Amino acid sequence: MANLNSKNKNELFSKIMEICARNSLIITIISLLFAISFPIVFSSQYLINIAINCLMYSVLAISLNLITGFMGITSLGHAGFMGVGAYTAAILSTRYGVNFIFTSIAATIVASLFGILLGLPTLRIKGRYLAIVTLGFGEIMRIIELNWVSLTRGPMGISGIPRMSLFGVAFSKPIHKYYVILVLLIITVYIVRSLMNSRIGRAFSSIRDDEIAADAMGINVFKYKIIGFAISSGLAGLAGAYYAHYMGFIDPNAFTFDESILILSMTIMGGMASIPGSIIGASFLSILPEALRAVADYRQIVYGLLLAVIMVFKPSGLLGGYNLKHIKQRFNFEQSTKGVDNHV
Amino acid sequence: MSDTILRVENVTQRFGGLTAVNGVSMEIKKGEIVGIIGPNGAGKTTFFNDITGVYTPTEGKIYFKDKDITGMKPFEITKLGMARTFQNIRLFYRMTVLENVMVGMHSRTKSNLIDSVLKTSKYNNAEIEAKKRALEVLELTGLADYRYNYATSLPYGLQRRLEIARAMATNPDVLLFDEPAAGMNEEETSDLMKFIRDLKGYGYTIILIEHDMRLVMNICERIYVLDHGSLIAEGIPSEIKSNPRVIEAYLGKGVQ
Ligand SMILES: Nc1ncnc2c1ncn2[C@@H]1O[C@H](COP(=O)(O)OP(=O)(O)O)[C@@H](O)[C@H]1O
Ligand SMILES: [Mg+2]
Repeated sequence: MANLNSKNKNELFSKIMEICARNSLIITIISLLFAISFPIVFSSQYLINIAINCLMYSVLAISLNLITGFMGITSLGHAGFMGVGAYTAAILSTRYGVNFIFTSIAATIVASLFGILLGLPTLRIKGRYLAIVTLGFGEIMRIIELNWVSLTRGPMGISGIPRMSLFGVAFSKPIHKYYVILVLLIITVYIVRSLMNSRIGRAFSSIRDDEIAADAMGINVFKYKIIGFAISSGLAGLAGAYYAHYMGFIDPNAFTFDESILILSMTIMGGMASIPGSIIGASFLSILPEALRAVADYRQIVYGLLLAVIMVFKPSGLLGGYNLKHIKQRFNFEQSTKGVDNHV
Repeated sequence: MSDTILRVENVTQRFGGLTAVNGVSMEIKKGEIVGIIGPNGAGKTTFFNDITGVYTPTEGKIYFKDKDITGMKPFEITKLGMARTFQNIRLFYRMTVLENVMVGMHSRTKSNLIDSVLKTSKYNNAEIEAKKRALEVLELTGLADYRYNYATSLPYGLQRRLEIARAMATNPDVLLFDEPAAGMNEEETSDLMKFIRDLKGYGYTIILIEHDMRLVMNICERIYVLDHGSLIAEGIPSEIKSNPRVIEAYLGKGVQ
């Protein structure tokens, strides 16, 4: 009986996914319009700040999904790269007066270099051992941030990080900051999507599905793991730079193991290898704590329970296992062959 | 370059105390179809793993197109023109049939990171070309209608065929098939035999491991027999069929 129910449930879900896949362009446009008009319609600072969180965590969840979902490498230290980016941006802007455009670029590059440095000695390690290595990396980063006081000001953190500004115009209002992170998210989605539709993306997916077969197909598995790791950590660094300028203050407490687990939960809950899934997962887990303010003391319990229920209901994550591109291709192909049959 | 495309000299593979392959030498000529047979556990798959770089032989040398490839990585050997299929099917299961074949095209296309993100004309041309050639391979292997299905949704026989298609996509000179007919019924096996003969017509050199004696005896021009890691016979099918050592190795296995 339970089986029958779950089968119906899956069929319904597949049907919905098929509709989404066929109308992906319209859905994208509507989502974009919604995202653009959101801060205009809801002008409350509180709501805009929550929305900024949704977008920023979307960048982080997508960047993590690039290695976890698309390549099969689980990282428990993603916040470490975010921290590297945030500190790079904070130091460059407070000490050298560098504009946020350039601190963002520098943060992306420095974080991806850290990714490469971590990857070179460790990416030959398999699965769960690698996960432990990334956990260690996140902790080491936090300890460095705490103890290298001359560079990071240690537990005092770095304050007075300048606001984002462009051509002398400061983005002082929340609505401005909102649009900056929206643009960063769009760039992130675009980059990851383009990659996944290229031979590099196919190399990533093949490594995830079967490393030995990928190797036998002429793919330098180690090289592509390094490339994936570099891009993923670079994007996390970009989100970190945004965070630094958005908050105006950072300290090591912002980039802890808990933060890495939060990002990983967003990625897993949204669905492996799904970009829309990561956005939904990030938004859901950003909004949930706010929505649960009503239950005050029981917040953590309800939060945990809800997460558990979702994972039991759909272990592969909300959109996990549904590749909209594949669904669309298959649908169009079936339609076109039907068309041929009719004409014969 | 000589007539010989692959030369194996005294290859030995040990796993701890176990000698899986024991001093095997082989010479394969361009355009041949060669069979490797032997009882289960004889070391056939291990031997394939040695020549394709999955393992580095404990002893011995391997020359491919007169180049020493001993100790090279699988992806490097594939780029030189050797491709294989796996005994236990190893398809990319969350990718479509078309994408599986396009992965095989990897080293033949050359668009990089920047091209992919900026969607340069180099990227566009490479994608169009890769898709076109992948579809040609799928037409050739009779899989074109399944191009947008997931690799694992295919029936077993077609999955084996997709492994061959994917290997062909790497543009190899030599194809290695590890038990391509395993799990196939008689009709599927006959189709496969015809298909392998066609492949020879396209100029491929083929080395195959197989238990189906009808297939081996019918399409292989030369056969090597392995037993307990050692080569016990080599010759044309009629010689192999009547070789007493081979019959002994297979005794009780229901062959002959
Ligand atoms: N990676 C390995 N480690 C240890 N032993 C192995 C390994 N691979 C194969 N063997 C052993 O080597 C022998 C030959 O195996 P295999 O090459 O698979 O035989 P075949 O393909 O002829 O059936 C078997 O005894 C097998 O258990
Ligand atoms: Mg075998």
